[in-house]
Amino acid sequence: MLFRQAGIFHTDYAADRAMFPIPLDRWMVGVLLALGLAAPWVFSSLALTSYVMPWLIWAAAALGLNLILGWAGQFHFGYAAIMGIGAYTAVHGVRAGIPWEIAVVLGGLMATVVGIVFAFAALRVKGLYLALSTLALQFVMDWVISHVPAISGGVSATLQAPTLRLLGQQVTSEAGLYYVALGWCLFVTVFMLNLRRTALGRALVAVREKDFAAAVIGVQSFYYKLVAFATSSFIGGVSGAILVFTFYHAVTPEQFSVNVSIELLAMVIVGGLASIIGSYFGAAFILLLPGQINQLVAWTAKLMGADIGVETLAHIPQMVYGALIIGVLLVEPMGLGKLYANVRNYLLVWPFGYARK
Amino acid sequence: MDLTYLLELSVNGALAGLMYSLVAMGIVLIYKSSSVPNLAQGSLVMLGAYIVLAFSNGLGAPMWMAIPLAMAFMFFAGMGIERLALRRLAGRPIVMILMMTLGLDIFLRAGAMTIWGGSGRPMRIGISDDPLFLGPLLLNRAYVVGAAVTLVLFAVFVLFFRTRRGVVLRAISDDYMASWSVGISVERGVALSWALASVVATTAGVLWGSIQSVDQSLSTLLLKGITVGVLGGLDSLGGAILAGILLGVLESVASGYLDKLLGGGSRDLVVAAVLILTIMIRPHGLFGRHDIERI
Amino acid sequence: MTATPTQVPDEAGDEVLTLNNVEVIYDRIALAIKGVSVQVPRGGMIALLGANGAGKSTMLKAVSGLLAAERGLVTRGEVCFMGEDIGGLAPQRRVKMGIVQVLEGRRVFEHLTPDENLVAASAIHGSRHDMARNRDMVYTYFPRLRERRAAAAGYLSGGEQQMLAIGRALMTQPKLLMLDEPSLGLAPFLVAEIFDIVRRINREEGLSVLLVEQNAVAALEVVSHGYLMDNGRIVMHDSAEAMKKNPDIQQFYLGGAEGRNFHDIKHYSRRKRWLS
Ligand SMILES: Nc1ncnc2c1ncn2[C@@H]1O[C@H](COP(=O)(O)OP(=O)(O)O)[C@@H](O)[C@H]1O
Ligand SMILES: [Mg+2]
Repeated sequence: MLFRQAGIFHTDYAADRAMFPIPLDRWMVGVLLALGLAAPWVFSSLALTSYVMPWLIWAAAALGLNLILGWAGQFHFGYAAIMGIGAYTAVHGVRAGIPWEIAVVLGGLMATVVGIVFAFAALRVKGLYLALSTLALQFVMDWVISHVPAISGGVSATLQAPTLRLLGQQVTSEAGLYYVALGWCLFVTVFMLNLRRTALGRALVAVREKDFAAAVIGVQSFYYKLVAFATSSFIGGVSGAILVFTFYHAVTPEQFSVNVSIELLAMVIVGGLASIIGSYFGAAFILLLPGQINQLVAWTAKLMGADIGVETLAHIPQMVYGALIIGVLLVEPMGLGKLYANVRNYLLVWPFGYARK
Repeated sequence: MDLTYLLELSVNGALAGLMYSLVAMGIVLIYKSSSVPNLAQGSLVMLGAYIVLAFSNGLGAPMWMAIPLAMAFMFFAGMGIERLALRRLAGRPIVMILMMTLGLDIFLRAGAMTIWGGSGRPMRIGISDDPLFLGPLLLNRAYVVGAAVTLVLFAVFVLFFRTRRGVVLRAISDDYMASWSVGISVERGVALSWALASVVATTAGVLWGSIQSVDQSLSTLLLKGITVGVLGGLDSLGGAILAGILLGVLESVASGYLDKLLGGGSRDLVVAAVLILTIMIRPHGLFGRHDIERI
Repeated sequence: MTATPTQVPDEAGDEVLTLNNVEVIYDRIALAIKGVSVQVPRGGMIALLGANGAGKSTMLKAVSGLLAAERGLVTRGEVCFMGEDIGGLAPQRRVKMGIVQVLEGRRVFEHLTPDENLVAASAIHGSRHDMARNRDMVYTYFPRLRERRAAAAGYLSGGEQQMLAIGRALMTQPKLLMLDEPSLGLAPFLVAEIFDIVRRINREEGLSVLLVEQNAVAALEVVSHGYLMDNGRIVMHDSAEAMKKNPDIQQFYLGGAEGRNFHDIKHYSRRKRWLS
């Protein structure tokens, strides 16, 4: 795998600012896209529905969170609540007879509205206090959702999601659901890739680096923070809705509790702040690695004849998950995305390492 | 409504609130010295309790010995955590520092569950269950003990901050650069504050553990602790004490009346509301300091 | 090197501090001082003059070891204290050896009282007796502080804060006292008062002093020798008397720019930098 810059000459600005200026990136994206499309035939049914599909949706949600956290530099400890609002709105919408597509967008919009209200309340403070106030709002949301039967769906607090109908067609096959998830994930990714190249993206970064300095050069920091909150809430809301329709098939308050918010944060941090590919890595690591390690531990234990209690085994994934966060922060605080970028930068000029700036 | 009932709720709430202050004090100690908001304080409380049990049940030490042993253990554990996990991140954006403490929280909690299992264990420190009456008021004996310990510990800290070492810690919390310039080892001071916070956490773990039993729910005291910390001002120990009482009373009285209306669970709602309102209205808390502006 | 002292007073062998061709880089990219050589004689009082951004504070931090906290690094040359290379030592070690820097902008511990400021600066493992004696010494030199010993230091006046900062440094029982722009933002009579006291401390306690100043008038009154730093280099080194008379110094640092307009001065300065 060689990324080479040699021999690439851009003759106009458009080429220089293309989404993927380096051909190999384009090739790689092509291959990944093909793989994504062929996934239903490549992966087993179990792998597809329980790993690949949720991974894509979580990656989309992580991208949404990364928009506020990585690009705009604003905390959000209540992102799961935002996703939950999207999910509940969409499910209630479809149950009320609204077409699926519209209901999902409505979910996104509802999440946006709540997100903006969140933001109006929270953006008066920064740093730790922003983190804590969003965290508190998450608790309030949790409480409201689980204490209002009209929302949560009665005593058992589970609300069945109706079948997904895209353009009037029922989508129930595994492949169909997968493609819905893939489509959404691609949409978010392309949006984020383009965001980097727009004035909005640059303004967000300016706000992140120093909001009052940004204000001095004429960037209205509050406005941009609000836009960031709104956009990312929309992404979160729709992701939450799609997650429920394609994966969970029923919605409960625990699916969007504070722990999930923290998990999302972990995805962003482990993947790398403001890194798109990192969000994919982060989602994969946080979703998959703890389980895999657990199996590894169980397998090794069996191999060595050691007897590990069920209870012990049950908590190992959580421990791995915590260790993962700590480890990444110690080794490379900018996350896996940065590690990838390091390798890529190294290869770009290999073997002329000294040519790097 | 019934005045005695209200009074009883208030007094018991204030006592329980002082025990939240104990959790908050750990957070304040660390925040004061290094501006790190320690979201792992709840897990330290839990860990402290488990370590006490490990010394008493595991190694068979009597309680009066197990507790100091556990405190000593946690003293060094706290130092180690600072050394290994936090020091590397000094100067990094706050998001990474917060995430690190969250990661520690998850790791410590799951680690404790892995080792000791998920079922609750009793912590017996010899507080009797007999009712305690103050006039017509029925008090919770364990809360009385907890509140008393908190106040004693607070007094100890007030005195400590007047000693030479305490003054040095306060100097560090004022200005890192100036501290280095006169030969103060800032790193050692910050490590000491983590160590002290871990000892305080152990105390909290013993007291709360004796009330509710030792399990992972001890780590959820974090939310109460941080709310008290923010309400009192994250760099004010005295603030933590008063805010604890305030939150305790509010929580107890509000839930005493609201629970019937809302069907339970209003305690957490009160805590979240206090947290939000504090941040909205007075982010530096009741006694947190703004930097002194000279007139 | 490029730094060519016009006239080196020949006292080699008895310096508390010797900087030899020191280069400092911040953040691995920003070159702040470029081959600086400076000597402070034992028991002497020396001034380091220079405009804003010349690199004076950087040089002091290279000596006190505070550079690391600002991601700066001594990349070349050596810093010797009493003949010993102190390059790799932590700030605490250097303070213990007897080097202390009074930071620019006073930086007292605002929420502590003057008393506590002094306590914080006295070595934790030092004896209580030493601490009391040093504190008495500080209060004798700065009687104003004694009067305000119980107020929060943040509420002291600028002059009092500067006195406290110096007093706090004295608590470490230094052999070399480095003051970074102590006159900053103070009324002239206060500057004179503080400089006088520093001079007295220098004489009576046998303490070597390195005084960094932009206020050349006041500084050259109390020191024996001065260095002039410009753009990261030492461009002049001479006795205080000679420096006061030097036309360049008069021009730029003593405010004697009669007959030349601003444009000329800038032009001249540019040429001067080119030469150095
Ligand atoms: N922490 C820092 N990081 C990067 N550059 C710095 C830092 N501190 C100072 N500099 C640069 O080094 C040069 C010298 O600064 P300084 O030593 O503070 O000058 P002086 O004290 O003479 O005013 C300046 O160009 C300044 O911009
Ligand atoms: Mg300076």
